[in-house]
Amino acid sequence: MKKLLALMLFVAASAQAADEFHLYNWNNYLAPETVTRFEAFCTCKVVQTYYGDNEEMLAKLAAGASGYDMIVPTGNALEPLIKEDFLKPLDKKQLLNLKNINPVYLNTDFDKGNKFSVPYAYTITLLGYNDVKMKELGINVDSWATIFDPAILSKIKGKVTVLDSANELMGAALKYLGYSANDTDEKHWQQAKDVIMKAKPYWAAFNGTSYIKELTVGNIWLAHGYSNDFFQADLDAQQAGRKFHVRYALPKEGAVLALDNMVIPKSAPRPDLALKFMNFMMDGKNAAELTNAIGSGNPNLEAMKTIKPEIAKNTAIFPDKATLAKLEMLKDIDSKKRRIRNRIWTEIRAS
Amino acid sequence: MRSRSTSRSTWLWAASIAVYAFLYIPLLIVILYSFNDSKLNAEWVGFTFDWYRKLFHNREMIEAAGNSLGIALVASFCSTVLGTMAGFAMHKYQGKLLQLLVLTPIAIPEILMGVSLLLFFVMLNMTLGLVSITFAHIAFCLGFVAIVVRSRLSGMDESLTEAARDCGATPWQAFRLVTLPLIMPGVIAGALMAFTLSIDDFVITFFTAGANASTLPLQIYSMIKIAVTPEVNAISTLLMGLTLLLIVIASKLSPNVLRS
Repeated sequence: MKKLLALMLFVAASAQAADEFHLYNWNNYLAPETVTRFEAFCTCKVVQTYYGDNEEMLAKLAAGASGYDMIVPTGNALEPLIKEDFLKPLDKKQLLNLKNINPVYLNTDFDKGNKFSVPYAYTITLLGYNDVKMKELGINVDSWATIFDPAILSKIKGKVTVLDSANELMGAALKYLGYSANDTDEKHWQQAKDVIMKAKPYWAAFNGTSYIKELTVGNIWLAHGYSNDFFQADLDAQQAGRKFHVRYALPKEGAVLALDNMVIPKSAPRPDLALKFMNFMMDGKNAAELTNAIGSGNPNLEAMKTIKPEIAKNTAIFPDKATLAKLEMLKDIDSKKRRIRNRIWTEIRAS
Repeated sequence: MRSRSTSRSTWLWAASIAVYAFLYIPLLIVILYSFNDSKLNAEWVGFTFDWYRKLFHNREMIEAAGNSLGIALVASFCSTVLGTMAGFAMHKYQGKLLQLLVLTPIAIPEILMGVSLLLFFVMLNMTLGLVSITFAHIAFCLGFVAIVVRSRLSGMDESLTEAARDCGATPWQAFRLVTLPLIMPGVIAGALMAFTLSIDDFVITFFTAGANASTLPLQIYSMIKIAVTPEVNAISTLLMGLTLLLIVIASKLSPNVLRS
């Protein structure tokens, strides 16, 4: 037993000695090939730990966890991190590949001038569907009406899921009503609630975790969810030899776009490796690898050359200029508004 | 009379079968689908070992498994040493307060323990990682070992140690040569219990894990958030097998342990 203990301490110590880059990331958000290449490039080891949502990550950091060299928060989670002076300003001289990034995704409201963050990838919250079933029923999925209008829903009752997220579902309902997804007018929120309440009896569930599987299996025909997930669902469906495709469409009213950003905490043990990684990931080829693996939206213009054509021409992931203008990034709301919205959300969920 | 007792026993049988089915059918399904030749946990396609093969090529999974094993070994070793001492002290001094203090960590909700340990480590300015997880695991395993050892001690004949002392053994010699061998099954059972508790703990590990360490349960949790692939089934099956094996060994070594 003692020998074993000594051996283990030795192993632990020798592992500590190597250069390590600690990345706190979403799961399945970095292609394994990219990791291997970066490790060869920096002669270091990439150690990833994961979070499932922004709140989980923020809570962990707020409690005082440290040791992370890089985090990949979504725009609205970036705000509190910057406000609390948690992030290290970036040395742009080391980020030469920043020129590859589409200016549309730079200089966002969350971080004016990109002092602390650079874009990594984005997802769009949209509608995914079973193409065969929708065709059979003659439903054209091009509007939020497909999940909110009882006239359409009556044809697919019990075959629809929506995200179990106040931000996303209220955002979608507000968009359907023609408001901004970031609208904070309480009257508009009430209207959105009414829309949701009328549609709710037709939905099978509020589901944020297993709709990929439900779609692939064929239990669900229409889902409100993230573009990456529908990409995965279609891959799975094809692999399992299903006779339908999982397609996804951007509603014409516009949708929510979530831009994830690379940031370096002030407490990072190896900010040098983090900067190297940032620049590395903004290289077109490396950025493209992520999109090819998981179907994420890519803010990198250089990457478009290496992204598989079937993904690059998907207008639900890479929308044209006019559609892009209708996409919105969710903003953080203040605690007073949040309480009101939480109350509305509880009423929606409970009734 | 007789017919009534048989009908009661049939009823008992039916109830217990239902309970066991409720407990074990989900586990059996997990195991079954780890051999399914399809990425979806939806229908049976064919038998395969592919998911196990994939699992053994998944670097992160292997690292997490290594971390879990390492933490479990160190934590069970340390908590066994400390827990045995605590159990011995509890037996010897019979103080109510002492017992209460050792047993509280068992009764405290895990989430509370996780949060308090996290805040404690942060207060000490300790970097969260393997070391903090190991400390946390030692803390919550200790009580279990102490209970097992104490129950073993209370079944022991006091006169044996007294005889050893009469024959001139020092207290340490009496403990090492007489008491310890007698309570050994309890100590080993406690160690195995600590090992199983440590290897599949999620809540406390979740709070005390940091940037450079993930354990198997944490890894499984993060995989589930995206999409459950049969790789998760495969690793769960292996983990279940290991836990089961250790529980069987523990109950063989000290049959009373699982009842106390």
